[in-house]
Amino acid sequence: MKQTALDNDKEKRTGAFIRTWGTLIGFLLLMTIFSAIRPDVFPSGRNLKNIIEQVATLSIVASGVTVVMITGDFDLSVGAIASLVGIVTALLMKAGMGTFASILIGLTLGTSAGLLNGLIIAYGGLSAFVGTLATMTAYSGAALLISKGTTVFGLPENFRFLGQGSLGFLPISVIIMLLTLLGIYILLEQTTFGRRLYAIGGNEEASFLSGIRTKQIRFIAFGISGFFASLGGIVLTSRLYSAHPQAGSPFMLNAAAAVFLGMTAFREGEANVWGTLLGVLIMGVMGNGLNILGINTYAQSILTGVIIVLAVLLSSLAKKKA
Amino acid sequence: MSEKQALRIENLKKSYPGVKALKGVNVSFNEGEVHGLIGENGAGKSTLIKILAGIVKADTGSFFIRDEEITIRSSKDSSSNGLSFIHQELNLVTYFNAMENIFLGHSYPRRFGPLVDWKALKKRTQKITDTLQVSFPLDRPVSYLSAVDRAMVAIARAFAVDGNVYFMDEPATALTDIEKEKLFSVIKNLKAQGKTVVYVSHNLDDVLQITDRITVMRDGAVVECKKTSEMTKDTLISSMIGKDLESSFPKRLGSPAETLLSVSHLSNSHIRDLSFSLRAGEILGIGGLVGSGRTELLESIFGSRALFSGEMLLEGDSYKPSSPKDAIASGVVLVPEERRKQGLVMSRSIFENISMMSLADLSHGGLLDHQAIKERSHEAGDKVRLKSADYRNHVGTLSGGNQQKVVFAKTVLQQPKVLMLDEPSKGVDVGARFEIYSIIQELAASGTGVIIVSSDFNEVLGLADRIVFIKDGYQTFEKENSDIDQESYLNYCYGRELS
Ligand SMILES: Nc1ncnc2c1ncn2[C@@H]1O[C@H](COP(=O)(O)OP(=O)(O)OP(=O)(O)O)[C@@H](O)[C@H]1O
Ligand SMILES: [Mg+2]
Repeated sequence: MKQTALDNDKEKRTGAFIRTWGTLIGFLLLMTIFSAIRPDVFPSGRNLKNIIEQVATLSIVASGVTVVMITGDFDLSVGAIASLVGIVTALLMKAGMGTFASILIGLTLGTSAGLLNGLIIAYGGLSAFVGTLATMTAYSGAALLISKGTTVFGLPENFRFLGQGSLGFLPISVIIMLLTLLGIYILLEQTTFGRRLYAIGGNEEASFLSGIRTKQIRFIAFGISGFFASLGGIVLTSRLYSAHPQAGSPFMLNAAAAVFLGMTAFREGEANVWGTLLGVLIMGVMGNGLNILGINTYAQSILTGVIIVLAVLLSSLAKKKA
Repeated sequence: MSEKQALRIENLKKSYPGVKALKGVNVSFNEGEVHGLIGENGAGKSTLIKILAGIVKADTGSFFIRDEEITIRSSKDSSSNGLSFIHQELNLVTYFNAMENIFLGHSYPRRFGPLVDWKALKKRTQKITDTLQVSFPLDRPVSYLSAVDRAMVAIARAFAVDGNVYFMDEPATALTDIEKEKLFSVIKNLKAQGKTVVYVSHNLDDVLQITDRITVMRDGAVVECKKTSEMTKDTLISSMIGKDLESSFPKRLGSPAETLLSVSHLSNSHIRDLSFSLRAGEILGIGGLVGSGRTELLESIFGSRALFSGEMLLEGDSYKPSSPKDAIASGVVLVPEERRKQGLVMSRSIFENISMMSLADLSHGGLLDHQAIKERSHEAGDKVRLKSADYRNHVGTLSGGNQQKVVFAKTVLQQPKVLMLDEPSKGVDVGARFEIYSIIQELAASGTGVIIVSSDFNEVLGLADRIVFIKDGYQTFEKENSDIDQESYLNYCYGRELS
């Protein structure tokens, strides 16, 4: 109980520092450890580029999920939307439709699927968890039905460009990821829409009484999540140069995990886009590093789970200190 | 009065980033004493209480009960030392019922080993509500209770276990006079049993009425501690704010002009056939008891509560808000009753809260104009004398009264045509209250029509030009506020007219 005020001040500032930067420091530490163990492989330019390319699709999807999670909602259906859109786009192209038009239809479909989530949840009053659990099941069912459960091959050559092409030294998928991040950043921090999202997440009733159309905003947020899920799904399809009816399913948990990890970074307990990017990178680096070390994928999953718990725990400890 | 110390606090210090909330406070509370603790918004009263409750950690400081030092590290420590609390902000779990809320954090009675004995719990709860002479539904989630009942649940929490020192941080702000009297008689009983009550309030008349001794805090330090009999309202005010205040209410400026808003035959589940009009520049009071439909009336005009029938005209045009958004767009705004629940986003900055209602004006094509937000928020905040080190801080870090000023600033920034106020000075100190009254007057003088609801009838009598009384949702009287005194005001509220 008895403590000098000075000590206390220092402690508080350390707490605040850890809260803001702890996750980033953890990430850098992770990089350092992997680099130290395998200096020949891990930090090489090729491997780093590899990591970024691997996480590009996840970070596109997770950016969209960030928007939904700011209002306190949740989106379990992004993986299913990504898969469904991948399949539909692929089948349209195979049926002879132009690549661009197919992509456009795919994006529209995914956005509509997201808006349907919003309709059920914001206007229908279902909880986001239950609502998107139901649509997730339905959307993946649709993907399996349309594709008859098989992988779609034989896509047009010009479709490779999105997932495999590059502009100078920058892969197109990474450019799309950067544009997505920037777009979401601007949306969240520089627009009235973003302000309203955060306000709803903090206190929905007060937001409503301040003249915010809370239902409409939540509805749109789900649409945005659907749009980026479908964009991620299309880029993934191009990267794999084939569409599988369950290709997107890892997005569901990984995107949520990335947003949760991101909530421990930069801002206290609030979803934010740079935090999400950091979360995605942590997961990417973990996967890649553990692969290089030859650790089996099942064990990797366990470790990823542990890391998430540790990160959230550490940041909440730092919070208590204050 | 026995002079034995129930609790002594020595050299208590606490700082937050950028603020020294407590700068070495020394104070002691005696047994069998009702002790008033007063001070301006942000003086540090709630911080002191939260530290004693084990919710906030002090930087330094020691506590003694009968000259024996105690440590308080958690709320458990605090309650095992006989300290009980009514906190300033209602912290109820809204989907729990009253019983569960009252015993939250205390052990429930059990049977068959681990099973909760609900019957015994209900009995114990009833014992508490009997002492408080209140009745509210015990089995329903508290979100279904009225604001008054919720406040009583929060009060009842302090009595879940027997204590020796009861800290009451503005317990009466949401109460009607009837409940307040009940609370006062409970306080008297506690005192008779030799217990200590520390009573925090901005209602100085109450403090003078029920306390034996008063400690005045200013900027995190104790500036005065005297017997109540040696104090008057004026000396209290001058030691609180460091200067004299000539009167409680600013002079009335300007006078009402043409009709601004007229409502006719408004009805829904809470109000019945209400008709009245509001002129530009007029301050209209709505008189009535809590539960009479005053809040519901304001909500109906604000579009957050549906009307079954009735018509409204704003500046001669039909006005039919289907949501607060419509109302705000038409220039009709509301300062709601419960700031934490309805007025503020605690986890967001002061800037964001003040600008929340006006984002459309503070942006271009959906892009925020940060410069305008900054300037206009500061302007509005300065107008209500908001005390804050940095508007980027979360609203949750402000003292209760300053939070209320943020709600007020938010609506003032709108330059409203019709400003509706539901308990506008809840938790606001005398000095700032005067400021808020001045703003209301200024807005009225510039042509805003103001409708005010307050359970502090002095406030209605001090501000309103005219008062419409309602009882059980029905309109009973409409009076010019020229010769209404407190007694006739209360009679009108009860639907009686004395000749
Ligand atoms: N969590 C916090 N973080 C930062 N500053 C805080 C926090 N809590 C309180 N403060 C600051 O400490 C000071 C004292 O606040 P406190 O709530 O104790 O005032 P108070 O006397 O209870 O005022 P009121 O009459 O308005 O309730 C204020 O300046 C307030 O802004
Ligand atoms: Mg307080």
